[in-house]
Amino acid sequence: MIPILSHTDAQTVSFAIWAVALPFVAFALNLLLFSKSKIAALISTTAIVASLVLAVKVFLSVWNAPVIHAQTTWFIIGATKVQVGLLLNNLSVLMLLLVPVIALPVHIYSTAYMKEDDGYSRYFRYLSLFCFSMLGLVVVDNLILLYAFWELVGFSSYLLIGFWFTRQSAVMANKKAFIMNRIGDTGLLTAVIILYTQFGTFDIQALFGKDGFVQISNIAAGMWAGPHSAIPAVWQYVAFAGIFLAVAAKSAQFPLHTWLPDAMEGPTSVSALIHAATMVAAGVFLLGRFYPMFTESELTILAVIGAFTAFMAATIALTQNDLKRILAYSTISQLGFMVLAMGVGAYASSLFHLVTHAFFKCLLFLVAGIVIHQMKHIKDDNNLDIDPQNILHMGGLRKKLPLTFIVTIIGALALIGLPLTSGYLSKDGILIQAFDWAESRGAIFNIIPYAALLTSWLTAFYVARLVVKVFFGEFRLHKANPHIHIHMGDGSRLYKGPLVFLAICSLFPLFSNSPIFYEDAWIYKSFLPSNFLARENLYHIVIPALINILAVVVIYSAFAIYGKRNAWAFPQTGLLYRISFNEWYIDRFYNRVIIKFVMWFSNVLYWFDKKVVDGLVDLFTNVGIGLAKLAAWLDRNIVDGALHLIAGIVQSIGNFARRFQGGKVQYYLYSMLLVVAVVFIFKMIF
Amino acid sequence: MITQQEFMIVSVLLFCIGLFIIVSKKNAIQILIGIELMLNAAILNLVAFGKFDRANNGGQVFALFAIVLAAATTAVALAIILNVYRRYKTINPDKINQLKD
Repeated sequence: MIPILSHTDAQTVSFAIWAVALPFVAFALNLLLFSKSKIAALISTTAIVASLVLAVKVFLSVWNAPVIHAQTTWFIIGATKVQVGLLLNNLSVLMLLLVPVIALPVHIYSTAYMKEDDGYSRYFRYLSLFCFSMLGLVVVDNLILLYAFWELVGFSSYLLIGFWFTRQSAVMANKKAFIMNRIGDTGLLTAVIILYTQFGTFDIQALFGKDGFVQISNIAAGMWAGPHSAIPAVWQYVAFAGIFLAVAAKSAQFPLHTWLPDAMEGPTSVSALIHAATMVAAGVFLLGRFYPMFTESELTILAVIGAFTAFMAATIALTQNDLKRILAYSTISQLGFMVLAMGVGAYASSLFHLVTHAFFKCLLFLVAGIVIHQMKHIKDDNNLDIDPQNILHMGGLRKKLPLTFIVTIIGALALIGLPLTSGYLSKDGILIQAFDWAESRGAIFNIIPYAALLTSWLTAFYVARLVVKVFFGEFRLHKANPHIHIHMGDGSRLYKGPLVFLAICSLFPLFSNSPIFYEDAWIYKSFLPSNFLARENLYHIVIPALINILAVVVIYSAFAIYGKRNAWAFPQTGLLYRISFNEWYIDRFYNRVIIKFVMWFSNVLYWFDKKVVDGLVDLFTNVGIGLAKLAAWLDRNIVDGALHLIAGIVQSIGNFARRFQGGKVQYYLYSMLLVVAVVFIFKMIF
Repeated sequence: MITQQEFMIVSVLLFCIGLFIIVSKKNAIQILIGIELMLNAAILNLVAFGKFDRANNGGQVFALFAIVLAAATTAVALAIILNVYRRYKTINPDKINQLKD
């Protein structure tokens, strides 16, 4: 069944295809260039600009309009016809727009940021491939292609995280990210196979669309009944587990989150892209795509995991000293909020938070990039042995980097979720709906919204700590080394432009007319089901007020602690401090238990291979060699022996007879006598 | 009375001694002596069997004839030995192996 597209729809579809394909074209063109060629940036940026323009057109024509689903036959195996095509609904066009909007400032920023790097062209090549993978992921309508792009995103992030592949830590980090993502990929593949087995199609629209197969199927009496067939319900749970693994790996949810902080080994601009709009958003996007499939209890699991991840990451971020690591954990924390929102049914808020988070997190990472860049310059100029990412060396930078400081404040406020910012709108929406959800469940479920509430205060604290340590007080590095030469500034327009753009996008006017009520946000409204009734209850007033008043108190206390004195305010030996500083020992646990077990197991397999498999082969070899030796012995002693014997006899006869012909008179006489004697003896006998 | 048999035994002994000398000695002159011994054994036979000859003293005559012939052959043989010695500076028959092809 191929729906006939109207002319404008066909145009929209071709725009969407080009929006996806252009970064790939840029990638292919960049492949042809030398690695230091400066044209690479131009090609990639042009492609992303064109993508953005096309995405805007697609967005305007599809947003809040009927879904466009164009497909064509890909291949036919037996009776199975696999369709391939584009699915443009609100979710996919929102992502289709978001990716180039975030990627464009990152591209512009990168042209300046990576200017002195040897792999300049390679960097843009990977960046284009990354954008292409993500754009492809959001528009495809087919689970196979979805899986392919899903893997491509993982692979291109692998390339980017290990961009400086001569560093051991970068290689370790990208390996880790890749392995973690492979675990998720396996889960997604499992889920895809199960869905196909149950419903017989890969078509996302047919599966998850309105009145799709997933909606009509139900679980009853231990069976998962679809429109055509019924399989044991356990497969539905396995499929959910697979999807959850995939989401946990890509969106860095507990327990597969540990790759994300390590992924900071990549260039900072890449971190900005990974953390904002592409890689980590893929998991939440997948949840959005598969949303109709989840049952009530599965959604609860998502909510619990999301809340736990958010809380855990926030506590870890409290004590980290690496600028990028703090931001990485804040990303994990915010992703936890998104998964939590999906779990409590706040589908619209989750996606809204995804979008707003993309802007301010990208902004904060670009700021971190500038700060680290400046610190690195100081380090290189003065031959200091410091870690340029350590916030303990920084301080007082607001005077030296005025513009960076202002945009950081905006980004930080958005991350904390104070009014007038976009973060306030999306995050408070999640919290309010979490409370609504918990209220309708029971007391025990209250843990989730309270954990989220606590997390948002923790967020306020660590963000304030970060800002104070970096921008307020005295420049600690200068204090420790008074003689060093410092020369720093905001940088060129290539740095400033993206920052200002993202800062503006982090404020409320882009998303809502009203700075206070999240229900007015247009992204939020578009994702609500039509029968949704806004329940105005106490939470809608109490929670934002509670959050913000306490957040202000928390921020003030952070200023008081870190701004006034430079010493540590908290004991660094306490149990809680150690848990937080060591990142809940999760990595250590993985290293000690899982990796050790895997290594042990592979050693066992190695031993088995060496002793048993190789041993068998060696045994055959030895038997063969033994047989060959026996044959050789037989050949030498029996076959050759017979010949040698004959030859020896002939030789000895010859030697014997030769003596009679030696020319010696007396031998002739002997032989004559012999013959005579023989004749005589014969005569006598016969 | 010496019987025929006793002549034969002496003759056989002489012949065998001569034969042994011929095959074992490493001197051409000694070999020549051996040949003479064998010849004498034959002559002794002639004389011994001449007793049974119908014609008188036929055996003795032949014996004399043979002795003369033997003397002649000995002279020839000595001459050969002399020539051999001149040529090879030895009369050891083992060293003279030019008879081979």
